[in-house]
Amino acid sequence: MAFSAVLHPAFLLVVLPLKASLSEVLGEPFQLIPEILTVSIQSKLQQVNLQWTVPNLTHQELKMGFQIEISRMNASNIIWVEDYSTTVKRNQVLHWNWKSEIPLECVTHFIRIRAMVDDANYPPQNSWSNWSSWKEVSVQVSVAPNTLLIFPKSKLLEEGSNVTICLLYGQYLYNVSCMLQKEPIHGEQLDSHVSLIKLNNVVFHSHSGTNIYCQAMNATKTPFGTVLFVSKVLEEPKNFSCETQDFKTLKCSWEPGVDTALTWSQQDSQNYTLYESFSGRSELSDHRNSHNWKITEESQETYNFTLTTENNLRKRSVNIIFNLTHRVHLKAPHDVTLETVDAKKANMTWKMHSRGDNYILLCQVELQHETEVIHECNVSVHMSASYLFSDLEPDTEYKARVRCADANHFWKWSDWAQKAFSTPEAAPSQALDVWRQVRSENGSHVVTLFWKPLLKSQANGKIVSYNIVVENQDRPSEAEHYSVQAPALGTQLSLDMCSYKIHITANNSMGVSPESVMALSNDSGHEEVHEKRIKGTKDGFHISWEPLSGDALGYVVDWCAHSRDQHCDLKWKNLGPNTTSTNITSDAFKPGVRYNFRIFEKSVQQNAQLLEKQTGYTQELAPLENPKVIINNFTSNSFILSWPGYDSDFQSAFIEGYRVYLKSKEMQCHPKGKRTSLSDNSVLCEYEIKDPEQKSFTVENLQPESLYEFLVTPYTSAGQGPNETFTKVTTPDENSHMLLKIILPMTLCVLLIVIACYWKSQWVKEKCYPDIPNPYKSSILSLIKSKKNPHLIMNVKDCIPDVLEVINKVEGPKTQCIVSGKPHNEDVSIKPPSSVPTEDGSSGPVPFMFFENFTYDQSAFDSGSHGLNPGPLKDTPGQLGLLTPPDKLLNVLEKDYMKSLAESPTEETSLIYVSQLASPMCGDKDSLVTNSPKPVHCSGYKRQMAVPGRLPSLALSESNSLTSMILLGQGEQ
Amino acid sequence: MLACLCTVLWHLPAVPALNRTGDPGPGPSIQKTYDLTRYLEHQLRSLAGTYLNYLGPPFNEPDFNPPRLGAETLPRATVNLEVWRSLNDKLRLTQNYEAYSHLLCYLRGLNRQAATAELRRSLAHFCTSLQGLLGSIAGVMAALGYPLPQPLPGTEPAWAPGPAHSDFLQKMDDFWLLKELQTWLWRSAKDFNRLKKKMQPPAASVTLHLEAHGF
Repeated sequence: MAFSAVLHPAFLLVVLPLKASLSEVLGEPFQLIPEILTVSIQSKLQQVNLQWTVPNLTHQELKMGFQIEISRMNASNIIWVEDYSTTVKRNQVLHWNWKSEIPLECVTHFIRIRAMVDDANYPPQNSWSNWSSWKEVSVQVSVAPNTLLIFPKSKLLEEGSNVTICLLYGQYLYNVSCMLQKEPIHGEQLDSHVSLIKLNNVVFHSHSGTNIYCQAMNATKTPFGTVLFVSKVLEEPKNFSCETQDFKTLKCSWEPGVDTALTWSQQDSQNYTLYESFSGRSELSDHRNSHNWKITEESQETYNFTLTTENNLRKRSVNIIFNLTHRVHLKAPHDVTLETVDAKKANMTWKMHSRGDNYILLCQVELQHETEVIHECNVSVHMSASYLFSDLEPDTEYKARVRCADANHFWKWSDWAQKAFSTPEAAPSQALDVWRQVRSENGSHVVTLFWKPLLKSQANGKIVSYNIVVENQDRPSEAEHYSVQAPALGTQLSLDMCSYKIHITANNSMGVSPESVMALSNDSGHEEVHEKRIKGTKDGFHISWEPLSGDALGYVVDWCAHSRDQHCDLKWKNLGPNTTSTNITSDAFKPGVRYNFRIFEKSVQQNAQLLEKQTGYTQELAPLENPKVIINNFTSNSFILSWPGYDSDFQSAFIEGYRVYLKSKEMQCHPKGKRTSLSDNSVLCEYEIKDPEQKSFTVENLQPESLYEFLVTPYTSAGQGPNETFTKVTTPDENSHMLLKIILPMTLCVLLIVIACYWKSQWVKEKCYPDIPNPYKSSILSLIKSKKNPHLIMNVKDCIPDVLEVINKVEGPKTQCIVSGKPHNEDVSIKPPSSVPTEDGSSGPVPFMFFENFTYDQSAFDSGSHGLNPGPLKDTPGQLGLLTPPDKLLNVLEKDYMKSLAESPTEETSLIYVSQLASPMCGDKDSLVTNSPKPVHCSGYKRQMAVPGRLPSLALSESNSLTSMILLGQGEQ
Repeated sequence: MLACLCTVLWHLPAVPALNRTGDPGPGPSIQKTYDLTRYLEHQLRSLAGTYLNYLGPPFNEPDFNPPRLGAETLPRATVNLEVWRSLNDKLRLTQNYEAYSHLLCYLRGLNRQAATAELRRSLAHFCTSLQGLLGSIAGVMAALGYPLPQPLPGTEPAWAPGPAHSDFLQKMDDFWLLKELQTWLWRSAKDFNRLKKKMQPPAASVTLHLEAHGF
């Protein structure tokens, strides 16, 4: 607009003077007003096609300028002005296109055009012609009420470009919201029924396009939408090149870049076209990244290729120009052969596909051993070539390979051609590294020989065996030969105490290695030297020594790799004659393990003499365990702790001493000790033993009957042993041993007395307290006898009792006996005749047992009717029932009984007194009632009572257990 | 034991391994068709998920439920329940056959839109299965003596987008095609289940093969 505003007046100023002259030439005013023929629309492309003509053109050709104006919505709103120049022919229909950024369905556009002659051959027109009339550009779209139309219906565009979406609202529609994929998008209202959504820098979402969908209130159809097919930007092909292997085909290749294909028939993958300008040939590639171009013109040497890629939106191309002979990529060599000349040489031959013998090739030859390139060489060759590899290792696998290129115009190496081969074996080239260990056993030398396996480069083949020749120096004629089969790396010989020379060689299939010699003197293995302690580092040990003699042939340092194991795994290191120190390093060295090194000096005679012994740790560690402590001489005031020593090979460091910790309630440390505290804040006494050889410690000044706790732990430079549980010990009582000395004999004495008493108890009993004192045995008898007075011993029958007294009565159990009887009066009655089972032979109840006292019986008879006559016993109320409590019952019974004894009239003349002291045991009663068919309860007592004198024999016959009966009467002793 | 026997006899009509004596009739083929319908339902569930993701939002959103429009040519599966009940066997089968004939044709049209080879393979596999279902329905109809419906001239479904048919509406059509297919398979399962029960012979006329598993 601005441009046209400025240009227009200026142009008029220039043209106006010319107008008059042109009018003069033509004879009339020159007005060529363009006439718009059609204005068509391509909706999908949003494009307006304008066709017009210039009527009244009299010339065949006339160069003209046109100016086209486009306005939007109304004619005055001009949005585009464009000048267009062309040569116009008579009656020619002119075309011009314009692309709208807004879909044409949404807004009406207007277009007009004017012209001006701009031809040098003719006087220029003095000014623009008049404008053509405005032509309306619109797509008739009717939007139904309650619907929404979205334009464009679909659009193909490139990623990163901008697009304007337009919405046409139908009547009654409101509250329209739109989403792009899942994100809301907002537009600007153009008028009441059109709004525009401008999307800038669109991104690729999916091959199936990016959906824009809108929903509206009051809509009859929903959702409304459109799809934007966003294509990725077409990339320029990279690394485009062409080459030939055979001068018949050019293989062109490139990196295609991203695939811009879209589905929904929007866009296929981009295509690739090759165009060669010299031949004018063009070929569409079948592949995305390569194309084979047939060479049809043999004479053509130079090629100019243009590779063009194209999709619906864009076209890109790259160009290369080259000489065919400079783009030769040879095929890999063929017929590769390898021939070994000897163990160290091999010859390789190969052939090339070439255009002729005159064609010179550059070949690269490589020799590989175990994937490592050990030899590389470039050689210039013709069609066939060879190369000799020398300095090879015997018995080794190699891989030889070769590749070639054009020597004149190097483009690319061919592919490799390779062949593997092995060199044959050769005799071992190196003497064995040997060593020995000598020990004396039963007056002979036990020599263990060791040797290290030869390196592959030294063995030159597979070692089959080792030969050992033992030569007695004292008797040179006697040499013994031994053979040890591989892969053994040692052997053991038993030799006498002579001097020997031992020769060791290794054999493979091709020969014998140089020999290794060792000499043994008769004192080998007996050397005694001082052991020195050394300090290692984590990398190993530095060992130095003083040479013994000036003419040493060399030195050997040996050590056990596994000093703690049974299997020592002897290692050694050979050192030169001028060496007096060395570093011994090994991955096998472990912290906390003691290593013992021996340094030998080798003499000219190959004899090795022990120089020094050195021992040390790479890293000393604190002891892992404490010694097992034994307590000796345990007294109330002291005890001695003793413990065994550690095996030096199993020490994790050099033990510098021991610490004894003692805990007690008193916490009074001995002056030798000091108070210290452990990690658990417990305070205790510590005694330090600085001599590692001292393996005992006396703990003194202890309190009797006190608890002490102790711990013995070794200490090293790396720390002390673990804090284990303390051992508890209680000191004994001071007098306890004295008491023991007294009590024990006393106890023994008492025991002896008791045994003796028991042994003589019968005798003592008879002597001291007989069951029935025998008046005739009484000691008093001797007194009587001595006085000669026989009447001192009272005879019972001479006595006339005045009163009978019951001297004992038993209570309690009799109730039970009463209850167990039959509840009939006559049965329960104490009338003996009816109760005695032998009377009628029947089995009446036998609740009581009667034992007659014949002494009284007899006296009764003897005394006539004197004495008490208790008369027949009567029933007592106590015998009436079972419900009466036993004790009460007994009382009643007892009372009645005594009463009856006192009041009963004399009906019988004889009385039998039965002792109630004799209380038969249950077992006894069983024997008494064996004839009774009814069960009889235990009777706990026996009543002493008067029974009729006529039944004594019956009652007596039943009585066989008279445990406490006292018989008073003569003749019964 | 007696209870077991009673249970077995009670469930006899439901035992599919039972063979009727003599001509098996359309029963087995109806059962096969029913099974195939259920299998296709399962297969479609996976295919529809993949394809709707490919269409992108909003078509793959679970709550996207637009009114059915623009897919008028698709056979409609939804029908009034009373109408469905009143359908006779012939009409029921004919409707199924016609629906799947159309749906199969539309489904083949989807293949050209598919971007990935995997999606194309899944679609082709599903089409083959659907073709099998169509053949199975034809078999049932033949067994029952019903003629196959003839395609009316001019009603051959065409999926070519018209000039006014936008790509968005095409996606919508695809969405509806899958949805309608799902509804049809669901309906067919009901249809064939109903037919199956109807064709079930009375329990007394079956012979129990004792080698049936489960005893």
